[in-house]
Amino acid sequence: MQRPRPNKLHDDLDALLDGRPVELTDELAPMVEAADILRIELAGYQLDPEVADRHLEQILGDQGKVVRLPVRRPAGGWDMRRRIVAVALAAALVLAPATMASAAALPGQAMYPFKLAIEQVRIASVQWSPAREAGERTRVADERLEEVESLFRLEMFNQLPGALKALERAVVAAQVAVAEASREGELPGRVAAKLTEVEVGGRHLVEEVRIAAATGLIPLSGGILKAVEAAAKQSQDVLPPPPTTLVPPATSRTPPPQTSETTSAPEPTTTQPEPTTTQPAAPTTQPEPPTTTTVPPTTTTAPPAEPPPSNTAPVPPDPPGGQGRGAGGLGAGPGGAGTDTPLGVGGAPPTSTT
Amino acid sequence: MLGFGGEREGVSKAGLTAADLAAARLREPAAVTRVYTAYAPALFRFFMASVGDRHLAEDLTGSTVVSAIESLPKFRGPVEALGGWLFQIARHDLYDHRRKQSRSRTEPLDDNLKEVAASDGAIDPEDLAITRLEGGRVLRALQELSPDQREVLLLRMAAGMTAPEVAELLGKTTGSVKALQHRGLNSLARVLGLRSLREPQERPYPSPDPDRLTSQEEEEEG
Repeated sequence: MQRPRPNKLHDDLDALLDGRPVELTDELAPMVEAADILRIELAGYQLDPEVADRHLEQILGDQGKVVRLPVRRPAGGWDMRRRIVAVALAAALVLAPATMASAAALPGQAMYPFKLAIEQVRIASVQWSPAREAGERTRVADERLEEVESLFRLEMFNQLPGALKALERAVVAAQVAVAEASREGELPGRVAAKLTEVEVGGRHLVEEVRIAAATGLIPLSGGILKAVEAAAKQSQDVLPPPPTTLVPPATSRTPPPQTSETTSAPEPTTTQPEPTTTQPAAPTTQPEPPTTTTVPPTTTTAPPAEPPPSNTAPVPPDPPGGQGRGAGGLGAGPGGAGTDTPLGVGGAPPTSTT
Repeated sequence: MLGFGGEREGVSKAGLTAADLAAARLREPAAVTRVYTAYAPALFRFFMASVGDRHLAEDLTGSTVVSAIESLPKFRGPVEALGGWLFQIARHDLYDHRRKQSRSRTEPLDDNLKEVAASDGAIDPEDLAITRLEGGRVLRALQELSPDQREVLLLRMAAGMTAPEVAELLGKTTGSVKALQHRGLNSLARVLGLRSLREPQERPYPSPDPDRLTSQEEEEEG
């Protein structure tokens, strides 16, 4: 009997299992029947519907664990306002202490650059108004004047040349701003008066510094001495020394007898080691003859046409809240303590005012 | 690429489309339910015939489908290949289960069966084992086959895969799969008593010695 090849049997059986038309031989019949029994047996195994539901719940239930991430929405009007307030508050928290700490800083100190930066910010913020800019620059000039006074009082002479130059620049900038505001017709009277006060005070201060340096009342090294003299001389272009005929602008706190003595006896100040508030630098020590024509035009409001009968200096009106510092020299410091004690420059005792 | 495909391109044997597959990747409930409905019964039959325990087969089916759905975004094949990919996962899970079972089994099975029988009352341990082996006669007959034969038959009968598809899944040639299928069904028929006595004993490699052949036949018949 011819037997089929084994591969032929395998192929025929496979075809029969797949339902393809192949002759079903007696040899393959039991295998096909076994396959049918197995199929029927396996078809009886049905997945329980409850189990199927449990599986699906297990699969799809994981989606319930998904945590939605917060989505950033575009900032609305209220959110924007809140952000602005937050930024402003943070800036205030940072800048306010720094501003306060730097307010009293002097040249050479760590906080002084911060002080200058704040001044620049203030000036930039008011440049839209000539009047406000003039007021701000005048305030800066007054600040420079106070710094020179403080440096002199604290014997920080090394910083004096730079401080004098800074004072000169600040006064020039204030004069320009005041002139600009005046042309615009927006200049408040109190700003012009304040600038006059600064100019007069600066004029006497620079002169006293120059005299103290020239007479050796303040211990300056050679380089510093030359620098101070140069700065003082340069400042005279902007802050010319008071004329000989001009009565030193003593403060109202000066007793009348003192001023009368000054006017009647101008010569003793040449030997006076230290100027006092009641005895300003005598005109005789002036190296250059003063001229009244160099006084800035704003001073026209201050100089009296004739000597006042009460021998009081023509002090421009103080602005509201001002310290009342006149041109009485170094004795009236920025502290405005009301004492007329001069600076202890050179260790000389203050001269009596009586 | 593994088959398990349908007659129409883009549609699996189970009637799934490429759109169903794409939606199932996104875990849309309707698409996931269609995938489960299409393949879970075949997976359950495969596991049921392999382990012989309904609860265990249910658990294995659930874990396979869950892991498959979770890994579905990684499946880049066409929808026709989805079935083969699922049964690859099923085979892997089944091997894992058997490996864990072999590690955890520290006591002889007979002792366990006796203990259970004593607690249940009057059930004989052998009867309990037969009862646990659901399907009775056919499943017991399957256990008589070699693992390769059993696996080929289950993939062919339970999963409905063709011989080339099974060959690709198992990493064998189609001819070897057909041979395993032939020998497995032959053994199954013999165990089930389906052997036709009219036909002479099949001997793929008959002995050239007639005397020896006769003696072998007598021994088998005896």
